[in-house]
Amino acid sequence: MKKSILYLMTFLLVQTGFAQIDRSSYPEPAPAREIKLGNADSFVLPNGLKVFVVENNKLPRVAFSLVLERDPILEGDKSGMLGMVGEMLTGGTTNRTKDELDEEVDFIGASLSAGSTSLFASSLKKHQEKVLELMSDVLYNPIFPQEELDKLKKQAISGLAASKDDPNSISSRLASTLNYGKSHPYGENETEATINNIAVEDIQAYYNTYFKPNIAYLAIVGDINKAEAEALVNKYFAQWEQGDVPSKEYAMPAPPAENKVALVDRAASVQSVVNITYPMEMSLSDEDYLATRVLNYILGGGSSSRLFMNLREDKGYTYGAYSSIGADKLVTSFRANASVKQTATDSAIHEMVYEIRTLRDNGITAEELEAAKANLSGSFGRSLESPSTIANFAINTQRYKLPEDFYTSYLQRLSALTVEDINASAKKYLKPDNMYITVVGNGTVIQESLMAFGEVNRFTNVGEPEKQIAMEEGMTAAAVLARYFEVIGGKSKVEAIKTSKMEAVAEIQGMKLNMSYVYDETEGKFSNKVSMMGNVASHVVVKDGKATVTGMGNSQELNDEQFEAVKMSMFIFPELHFEDLGYSVELQGIQDLEGEEAYKILVSNPTGTSQLNYYSVASGLKIKTESQENGDMIYTDYEEVDGVLYPMMMTMKSPMIPMPLESKVEKIQFNVEVTEEDMK
Amino acid sequence: MRKLIFSLGLAFCFAFAVSAQNRIEFKEFTLDNGLHVIMHQDNSTPIVAVSVLYHVGSKNESPDRTGFAHFFEHLLFEGTENIPRGEYMNKIQSIGGTLNAFTSNDITYYYEIVPSNQLETALYMESERMLHPKIDEIGVDTQREVIKEEKRQVYDNRPYGTILPETMKRAFSQHPYQWPVIGSMEHLDAARLEEFMAFHKAYYVPNNATLTIAGDIDYEQAEQWARAYFEEIPKGPSEFYRPDIKEPVKTAEIRDIIYDNIQIPAIIQAYNLPPKNHPDAYAMSMLSTYLTGGNSSLMTKELVDKQQKALAVAAIPLDLEDGGVFLMYGITNMGIDPKDLEAEIDMLLTKVQEEGISERDFQKLQNIIENNLVSQNSSMAGIAQNLSQARVFFGDTDYINQELAFYRKVNKEDLQRVANKYLNQEGRVVLYYLPKSEEVTE
Repeated sequence: MKKSILYLMTFLLVQTGFAQIDRSSYPEPAPAREIKLGNADSFVLPNGLKVFVVENNKLPRVAFSLVLERDPILEGDKSGMLGMVGEMLTGGTTNRTKDELDEEVDFIGASLSAGSTSLFASSLKKHQEKVLELMSDVLYNPIFPQEELDKLKKQAISGLAASKDDPNSISSRLASTLNYGKSHPYGENETEATINNIAVEDIQAYYNTYFKPNIAYLAIVGDINKAEAEALVNKYFAQWEQGDVPSKEYAMPAPPAENKVALVDRAASVQSVVNITYPMEMSLSDEDYLATRVLNYILGGGSSSRLFMNLREDKGYTYGAYSSIGADKLVTSFRANASVKQTATDSAIHEMVYEIRTLRDNGITAEELEAAKANLSGSFGRSLESPSTIANFAINTQRYKLPEDFYTSYLQRLSALTVEDINASAKKYLKPDNMYITVVGNGTVIQESLMAFGEVNRFTNVGEPEKQIAMEEGMTAAAVLARYFEVIGGKSKVEAIKTSKMEAVAEIQGMKLNMSYVYDETEGKFSNKVSMMGNVASHVVVKDGKATVTGMGNSQELNDEQFEAVKMSMFIFPELHFEDLGYSVELQGIQDLEGEEAYKILVSNPTGTSQLNYYSVASGLKIKTESQENGDMIYTDYEEVDGVLYPMMMTMKSPMIPMPLESKVEKIQFNVEVTEEDMK
Repeated sequence: MRKLIFSLGLAFCFAFAVSAQNRIEFKEFTLDNGLHVIMHQDNSTPIVAVSVLYHVGSKNESPDRTGFAHFFEHLLFEGTENIPRGEYMNKIQSIGGTLNAFTSNDITYYYEIVPSNQLETALYMESERMLHPKIDEIGVDTQREVIKEEKRQVYDNRPYGTILPETMKRAFSQHPYQWPVIGSMEHLDAARLEEFMAFHKAYYVPNNATLTIAGDIDYEQAEQWARAYFEEIPKGPSEFYRPDIKEPVKTAEIRDIIYDNIQIPAIIQAYNLPPKNHPDAYAMSMLSTYLTGGNSSLMTKELVDKQQKALAVAAIPLDLEDGGVFLMYGITNMGIDPKDLEAEIDMLLTKVQEEGISERDFQKLQNIIENNLVSQNSSMAGIAQNLSQARVFFGDTDYINQELAFYRKVNKEDLQRVANKYLNQEGRVVLYYLPKSEEVTE
């Protein structure tokens, strides 16, 4: 009877619907079906193991999922150990070698896997006893073979190498290090050294301490009822012995006092990976948990959010821009991230910071709130399609000590949130002035533009600050330069050199470049000629206080600013003239240059043009200069010429040339006669 | 929204994307305009998946206008005559739904999953973009930029990201499978608005589409709404360009080195496959499982576990309508010469070709296949996709219930036979992915 009325009603609905197809507006939704949460049966074994059973007979399968609840562990000089526990567990038992175990699992088409806090097995219903036998063998009798550990270490080191090239891995490693610090379980990084440090005993000790039923939850989901599950659990898990498990505490990481930019210079990048982040406290049991879900959805939780609509749909800077606010019982982080067009890196960051700040200051609209609620309710509803969701809900409720009705009241609590609730959360949790703005990209192109967002610090691809080595007390730029003169032969000898002629050769893509330099410091003259296959490609001449550049048949006199830049390279030993020319020098510290420690000196001329000079700490010699205009120049192969050391190899790296240009000095003379002819 | 383009992972899903055991019930009908509609009812969760499969992919493109199908995947989110620009995604999400799309060499697939009381809205919206999507300069310009960033993110800036395009361009000299689904940025830059319009008219029409509705529905209501919203859409052209290009059998191995921003070398081998619906496809899929599926599989056990020459190995049958490729890759372990790893891979392949596989291993493969097929179709979204692909690729929606039977027809000897027939060294493509740093010294 009821059925036929329903049928009649649908029929009417359809008829009216059909007659009135109106494309100008969205159809009215039908009444919503109530979202009902299924039940999980639960029981506790005498050894403390908590078991949850969710019966679902749609497919003839069963899954057994064991999880351990312990405090996070700082691994220190064994970082990477926890990542190997799982595969070591399945690396063989006293009853089965790894080969036998793998074969038995695959033979029934099952899966069996482990982690440092988990053990999971699933199979077709008909193989459930077999898969439990294998699972419990792994749980009770692992032997942790040395050769398995050796293999895992080798793989981990290879994997680490691969991750150093992956911009996303570099980005997330950097974010964790900055947010939590290296002495926090979430901030420490594994290295080749820590991986090599891991021993079988470490894994054995970890297993002995933490694999205990009194901190374990077992979820059983699938084609199985409570009585059957209880019998199986008693058979396979009752003999598991309990034990004391230590607890740990860690200092709470704080966000930076002001915005800081962290750059990883990856020359190969064709995009910039931007991640704006800071640590925050937020957990499932926090009273603001739901409000921060809504807040994040509106900011960057999906493709309708502000970040996506602004950066992708409006500006086309990126394929996608998102944000996230984690939930963790210890500490978590805020993140806003996007892989953006290189040339728009600063614009993209500007927009991201703008969206965070605007949301904090101006809050949300009622429409945004409604859309966010509908979306979050929808995804809650969709998650119920998978039967394991109910088991997870039951476990989370106990594991994180949530109120009993946490999940059953979820939708109700979500729908009760107001605009004011979300705005209060925005004020409390969004920190547009206390963020790490991390960028993995081509530093040469983007570094300068990043200064607008805060102090820029450079990091390596493993999240280490680019080496700044401590300098001895009282070291000055003048002292570094004095030492330089001393080691190349003594200041008086150097000062005695007034003229020079030099010939150098370089090869670029199979073609020979000849470079000739003429210096006459008494007359203030300089000439640099570059020829290719006998033809002059460019010629720079300085005389009578003017600089002229000739190339490709054109001749041009440089303006004052350009002249100042050229002046920096018109002397045989520019260091001798810094004072006369009014250049300022500033010792900025010691930096590691591909393994060699060097004093870093910023040389600025009166017009504001500047370059960086590096002098080796060990030898005192100048080993490198860097400038915006000329790129990098590396000096090597010092040889004695008339009692003065001079570099016979100069390697130029510049974004203007495809590969490093190595120019080799073939002939050099000091204090020779310079004629007008030489300047032509 | 992360719109997927045909990725390796996805290809892997496709390899098993059908089921048996628990029968999937469905109803289907075809509208006068040629739109085929498939419905599946499951009232256990109040959600419904709605999808439209357009039978157009990168293979339908003109060689000087590649990337159009994928471009349309983006464009059709821009809006319609009744749905303003930018609102399509917002609307679905604001009614509690989720949506996405992907483009492959053969098809373009759009779907949304919404609370079941919003089914009518989902159907209205899909019908809107089939009837009159808004294709204008603003949308075209924005999506052009977005796709350039997608290309940089998915291919150029990601280690090993170019494996698929580099392989396909060598595995196919004639067939349109040679160009990547994302296409050429120069082609997209050069294309005029009228060309996009023309491409739309040619393929995005009811008689080239399949609408699938799976979830908490009432069959009659769903059918009435499908008719109400889609029936008025005019039928498209009576014929569609489907390339009838037979890729010639290769007689010499193609071997190349690609320098990438990586630190660990990888080797890739690709062997051309028969069409997706060829009976040998099942044997090739089982062969891939035998080689690299599971910890006890031949190559994983030998190369990753025992010899430790590889960090990972995988064999993926990339099944395509006109015949795809059997793609194998191995990532070398630290300090291993890729030549060494390749020699071992070749030796194991030769072993299978000469000795075949054991009775026990064959039994194991059957158990794994059974488990995989049973586990499929556990979500409404998965069922919708498998139903529509069964219909489009195999010409029979009920194929979804017959796949296990097809696998059961394969016998042990077939595996050895297909290994010899398709995995021959003369016709393969071999790529070495080497670190860029090695390029300078060589």
